[in-house]
Amino acid sequence: MRMKVVLLALVLPVLAMADGLRAHHSTVVNFDSSREVTITGVLTEVTWRNPHSRFRMNVTGEGGATVEWLVELGASNTLTRAGFPMETFVVGDRLTVTGWPGYRDRSMLLRETVLQDGRRLKP
Amino acid sequence: MRCSRLRTCARNPKSVATACCLVSRRSTLGWNPWATVVFRVPRPLAWLFVAAAVFATPDEGLAQKPDLSGNWIRGGRLEFGEWSLTDEGRRGLEAYDFKTDDPAYRCLAASWARAWMNPNVVVRITQSAKEVRFQHEFMDIDRRLPIVEAAQANPPRVSIQGQPALGSSTAWYDEDSLVIETTDVGPGYVSTMQEWAGLPQSRRMRTVERLRRSGDLLTIELTHDDPAYYRKPLVVTLEYKKTDFELMKYDCSPEEASIVAPR
Repeated sequence: MRMKVVLLALVLPVLAMADGLRAHHSTVVNFDSSREVTITGVLTEVTWRNPHSRFRMNVTGEGGATVEWLVELGASNTLTRAGFPMETFVVGDRLTVTGWPGYRDRSMLLRETVLQDGRRLKP
Repeated sequence: MRCSRLRTCARNPKSVATACCLVSRRSTLGWNPWATVVFRVPRPLAWLFVAAAVFATPDEGLAQKPDLSGNWIRGGRLEFGEWSLTDEGRRGLEAYDFKTDDPAYRCLAASWARAWMNPNVVVRITQSAKEVRFQHEFMDIDRRLPIVEAAQANPPRVSIQGQPALGSSTAWYDEDSLVIETTDVGPGYVSTMQEWAGLPQSRRMRTVERLRRSGDLLTIELTHDDPAYYRKPLVVTLEYKKTDFELMKYDCSPEEASIVAPR
């Protein structure tokens, strides 16, 4: 029950700004909102900036080859106002990220992430 | 209650700006409430007060103009009116490549419409009698516009350093609205967002922004007149809401903003 309350407290203020985040930075232009992709990998870079924030993740495919993915998030000012827990993301963490694929290879817009400890976050 | 200095005043009729003297001389009543004010102002200072009263003009700025001041955040309506492109305008729209052409990759605003429509950004508006200042969080745009008379010939205009697509602007009040006219713009885009991405802006664009407040809602109507690209004016209407959020630095870096693909 307590975990549910904590998760709700993390998610609700962010969802309140969801419309703006979806429209951020020409989202519809850059990402395919008609489908979702999910990747699991290791966080190698975290950048909180305006007009958009981003993760770089190393993702290892079935054949063993490791490639880099670029995961985009909203503007850091927007995330700050929404109370998104940016400090949660640490280089070296293993994440599972689901989002809209970008029109550039190996890019996506983050819609939900599952942290190492199992918490789910939505920006 | 009588002024305790009435007798002093009577003996010294040339004393200036002693309040009880002035009012007691005009008063037909034995008692005058103003006579309770007892102060004595040195003569030179008193003449200064008189001169100020004669020559000072009332502050016509805020008392009669719409109060747009405060912090506002994008929210609510965002509407594009119908557009009708010329052949050249259509070629400009079709040529737009979101992967390379968005000026935001270089921390540039594509147009005033684009600056206003960015979601979840704060704009702070401050007004004085002679100026209205817009501090846009988006790209840290700081716009200080002198207030002129409507239809003034050759009004002073201001531009935003480092933002060529934002041209030069002048502003005036029109009843309940603030009107801002912008000309001399550089090439850009009315929008790089959503289904309107790539609508072009030529150097011939003239933009008129009309801002009107209703309670805690600020409506901005932008009329775009660009004979090179549009057969008729394009109207964009959007809303901002009063907010308690403080203005934050945007601090865009072209090196960071241009990263849109993995290595």
